[in-house]
Parts: sequence; C-alpha cells; structure tokens
Amino acid sequence: MNTQILALENMLFTITMLLYFGSMVLYFVFIAVKRDGISRVAVTLQVIGWCLHTVALICRGIGAGRLPMTNQYEFATSFAWGICLVSLFFVLKFHFSVLGAFASPVMFLIIGYAAMQSKDVHELMPALRSNWLGFHVSTAIIAYGAFGVSFVLSLIFLLRDKVQAGGFLDQRIPDREKLDGISYRSVALGLLFLTFTIVTGAIWAERAWGRYWSWDPKETWSLVTWIIYAIYLHLRIRRGYEGKAAAIFAVIGFLCVLFTYVGVNTFLPGIHSYA
Amino acid sequence: MQFAILLLAVLAIACSAGSFITQGQTYDWYAKQYSERAAALILALHLDDAFHSWWFVLINVFLCINLLLCNVLRFPRLKKRMETEMDAEKWLQSTSGETAQKINRPEEVFLRLRMPKPKQIRTADGREILFSFKNRIGLWGAWICHFGILLLILGFGLGQMTRKQYTVYGVPGQTKPIGDTGLVLTIDDFQVDLREDDTVRQYTADITVRDMTEKTDGEIHSEQAQISVNNPAFLFGMKFYQNSTGWAAQVSVTEAGEPLQEETLCVGEYLAVQDKPELVILLNAFYPDYLLDPVGGPMTVSGQLNNPAYLYTVYYQNQILGMNALMESEELTIDDYVVKFSRPQSYTLIQIKKDSFTWLAFVGGMVIMIGLFLAFYLLPVRVCAVREADDTWTVRGICKKGGTIFREQFARAVKGEEENGGER
Repeated sequence: MNTQILALENMLFTITMLLYFGSMVLYFVFIAVKRDGISRVAVTLQVIGWCLHTVALICRGIGAGRLPMTNQYEFATSFAWGICLVSLFFVLKFHFSVLGAFASPVMFLIIGYAAMQSKDVHELMPALRSNWLGFHVSTAIIAYGAFGVSFVLSLIFLLRDKVQAGGFLDQRIPDREKLDGISYRSVALGLLFLTFTIVTGAIWAERAWGRYWSWDPKETWSLVTWIIYAIYLHLRIRRGYEGKAAAIFAVIGFLCVLFTYVGVNTFLPGIHSYA
Repeated sequence: MQFAILLLAVLAIACSAGSFITQGQTYDWYAKQYSERAAALILALHLDDAFHSWWFVLINVFLCINLLLCNVLRFPRLKKRMETEMDAEKWLQSTSGETAQKINRPEEVFLRLRMPKPKQIRTADGREILFSFKNRIGLWGAWICHFGILLLILGFGLGQMTRKQYTVYGVPGQTKPIGDTGLVLTIDDFQVDLREDDTVRQYTADITVRDMTEKTDGEIHSEQAQISVNNPAFLFGMKFYQNSTGWAAQVSVTEAGEPLQEETLCVGEYLAVQDKPELVILLNAFYPDYLLDPVGGPMTVSGQLNNPAYLYTVYYQNQILGMNALMESEELTIDDYVVKFSRPQSYTLIQIKKDSFTWLAFVGGMVIMIGLFLAFYLLPVRVCAVREADDTWTVRGICKKGGTIFREQFARAVKGEEENGGER
C-alpha cells in the first residue's frame, strides 16, 4: 500500500468532485441565462473533471496494489466515472449540451455518495483475488453508466412536451424521435455490458463458489434489471407502447440499477455484501 | 409479443419477491418475522423456496415455449428477408427509406456511409443500379439472443435436475467418504496463508481422491490435486472446491487417569464419551487469541495462536450440565472423566460438485452476448443508386432500426457529396 499515492488520489478525488459540481452549476446557469458559451465551459469542466477522475482511479489502483473496484467507495466513484464518460460521449457526439445539465446532478449525487463511504484500503479476501474481478466490475461500471444516461434521456423525453415550442430549450433538445433513438443506443450499450457483467460474474462464481448462479440478492436484482430493460426493448418496437411507455421502463430500469447497487447491500445482504 | 412482455414482467416480480422474502425458513421463523397470517401465506404460495417452486418453474416453461415459438415462426421470415433484401429490383419498387436525387457521384455516398463496394447491375428495363447491403447478419441478432436464452434456461434447468453435490470437511491426515460415490477423500495438507495484518491471502488444500470401487492391476486408482479459492480441481469427473474453513481441536478424555478416547473435533461438532454415551461434549467455538470483553463477551484479539481458548458445552441425557471456556493447559473434570482440548488447527471444507450441463448454460450466455451485439451494433443498412435519364443518380438508403440518427447520417453523406460539386 502506497500512502503517498493514496493521499494524491484523495486530493484528485476532491478536485474532481469540485469540478463536477462546478460543471453542474454552469449547466444550470446555461439553461437559466440561455447562453451557449456557458455550456461549452461546463462541458470543458466536465472533460477536465473526467480526466482527473481517471488519474485518481489509476492512483487508487497503484496505491492499493489492485484494481480499485472492490468496495462501496471504489465502485461508487467508478460508477460516477462511467456515467460521466457515457454522458460526455453522447453530449459530444450529438451536440446535446442539455443532456449534461440533466446528467451532472446524477453524477454529482453518486460521487457524493462515494465521498461519504470509507476510503480505507483493505486487502482482498481470497474469493476476490481473481482475474475475473476486472472484467466483471469494469463491465458493470460501463453498464451502470450507460443506464444512468438512458435514465436522464428518458426523463428529458418525458418532459419534452413541457418545453415551450420554438424556445431556447426546444431548439437545443432533439425531437422525441431522436431522443428515443439516443436513449435506445444508451440502453443497448448498457444491456450488452450488463450481460457481460452477469456472464463473467457467473463464470467467476463457478470457479470461486462452485455455483454459477445462487439466487443471491445481487444476482437476482441484476437479473431483474436485465428483464426490465428487455421489456423496454420489446415495448419500443410495439406499436402503441413505443415512446412514453418505453421511457417509463428505462426510468424504472435505472431505479432497479440503484437498488441493485445500494439497496441490496443495505436491505438484502448476501454473498455479494462486500460489493 | 404481448404475452412475452407479460411473462417477463411476472418473472421480474417473482424474482424480486424471492429476494425480499428470506428463503428456506420455517413457519415459526416467518411468523416471528412478519405475522402468522403472512407466514401461512408464504408457505402456501411456496414463497419460502420461490426459485424452486412449481409456479416459478411454470413461468420459465412458458417463457421457453414463447421463445421457441417466436424463433420457429420468425426463422422462415428472416430467411426470406435475407434473400429478398438482396434483390435490388424488388427493393426499388418500395418507397420506404431516405431518398436523394440529382447526385453526380453516388460512390462517395456509399463511401461516406461506409458501405461495402456496391454491385453494379442492370434492371430488366435497362436502368443501371448500384446496390450495397451491409450488416445483413444483424437481422439475426434478436433471433440469436432468444436462442441463447433458451440454451441458458435449458442448461440451468438440466443442471438443477441432475447435479450432484457433496461436502467433506476435516483436518490434514483425515480420510472421509464422498457421499454415495464410492470415492474417498484424504486431506493431505491444509495451509492458511496469512498477511502481516492477519488477513487471509489464500486457503490451500492438498487432497488425494481414491476410487474404492475399482481396482486396476490390484491397485486402487487415485488422483491428487492442490486446490485453493478460485482454483478448483477436476478429479474423477467432479470438481473440487476449497470452499470454507474453521477451527478444529484434539479432544482427549481420560477415565481415572487412563486414556479413554482421543478425537479431532471441528467447531460445532459433538463428542459422546465412549463408555457413557449420554455424556456429550460440544465444541462451541475456538478463540486463538482469547480475551473476555466485559461488554462483548468472549472474543479473539488476533488470528494468531497467542492465547488459545475453547468454548464448550457439556450435556448429560440431553440436558445442559454446563458451558464455559477452557484454556489450552486447563482440564475439565466431570466425575471420573477428565477432558482436555489441545492442538488447535484449521480444518478445511471442500465442496464437490458434478454438473454436466454447466457448459450449456455458459454457451447460452455467450450466444446471448453475440445476439445482443449483432442486434445493437450491426444494424442492417441498404443503399441503392439508380442512374436517371439525365445521367444523375437517385440514391436511396434504408436502416429500419436507425431512425432519425440514420436519416441524419444519410443526409450528411449526401451533403458531403453536394459540397464536392454535386447537386441535390
């Protein structure tokens, strides 16, 4: 354990949090004062924050001498990193700054949750000392990040009609069809990676515990999340249910993600209690 | 599809109910935890073993039938689509998709949309056509994903029905039978690798398994392996896992100064005194570095054997005679009997499993991933260009799942062509 590097990580984590906060405030100001220049600064702050966040995670990994993905703090900070990455991807690809205004509070809440967790570095128990850990948790981070962004997009979709026609926001938020398309892409990314997470977790569990599926609460809720997004995909292609109904399921899906991550650990302890 | 959505929703509700209600408990436990009425309801609905209940199996059977029917019905349609969508002339007759007219260099539109090199064909009425189709395999994405789910459920279900599982625990030197298999397992060695801070790095056991039912040239066939957490071994067609560990100790009983009995007891095990079986000693717990905390009770300060203590209970005719902690050098006297605990050591718990269908479930998982990738990232795109009478081209592109995003992509590809000198 390298305490100097861990101290650096702690400092970088704090700066990252401040940058995410600054970026969130600027996104709100952008919507309030209706000036595009402010959104560009907000995106820049978010990009810098994400870069520092990446360095912080690398420092954590070096300092702990292992992948920084094994306790509540490490997973929460990685989760915020994943949401930031996926939201930046969609903001830049589709020139959709308003997405940042909705995604940044979610990101800030999750990194805030991370800040409240213990940052102590503990050695890994034997079951966690596996190469599968990296595959299993890193795919979960991308999946959760993508679902976080689809949640935000679905909220924007559901609120789209409340936006004044021809107004500042109306011109900066894609139409419902495009919003639905971007949200679908985000869910697609999330579902593919969640499937990776479940499959790699099953392979690992088979090696570590002798059972690839034990109906442990974490496993069960990952399956519930998978099913909710499968329903979303089916609703999307069903006439009469596409759009609003599908968006509602994307919102429910992310609530399931949050429950799988925080709720299961709090209310339903099982063999995944450390995660 | 409506039925499939309903089944998925019911499955999600069933899974969440199974996760909220603690599984495998008794009526009394549920009655104490919730209420008597709730306990009766839980047992009546088999919610105490939700994931193995008849209704949970039934939901999965319905889901499998639904997936199977869906795939059977879609197979000929998809096969036909694969063939007809390559028929440029047929496709020209349809009006769907994005259209751009008066294009001078259609090849550039194909390039910008990253289409494969277009085929040049002539229609029956002599019109020249450039035609390209990419990601045809993507049409099969959902079908493959459904097939993967079927394989996974099948592999899991068959595994549940046929799997055999045994546990053997003991200390080095002990040999124990593995259930009804005719095999015996000897624990040759067991090591607990500790870090400096007393946390466990790894548990490692050396084991030998012998087949007592078959002899080759008069020799008992045996296989050896070293197992540790995350590194199981495959012996005699079964998987051996280093699953768990705990403390064990040597218990010696003397009667009037004469040795009567000596056995290894794991924590939680009982010893019945040989010539007085109604006198039973239970090893409740072991503390390697014992401390009697006035508030928290007996506890261990570290994992090191600095101050070993044994917590025991003595029963006589099923009644508790007494319970106390005994230090390493202390003796317990009951009438003529003297009981002494010594040589504390870690025991290993080895899990042995045979599941012939695990591979099928994993193949199912892989197939699902391939299916999802094809469905999400290999969206079928067709682009066709027709030479008009004035020598310009009309280009049409279609990507059914692409929606607005493909429309914009197509428009950008056409615009790029315009910027390079074309007209629209």
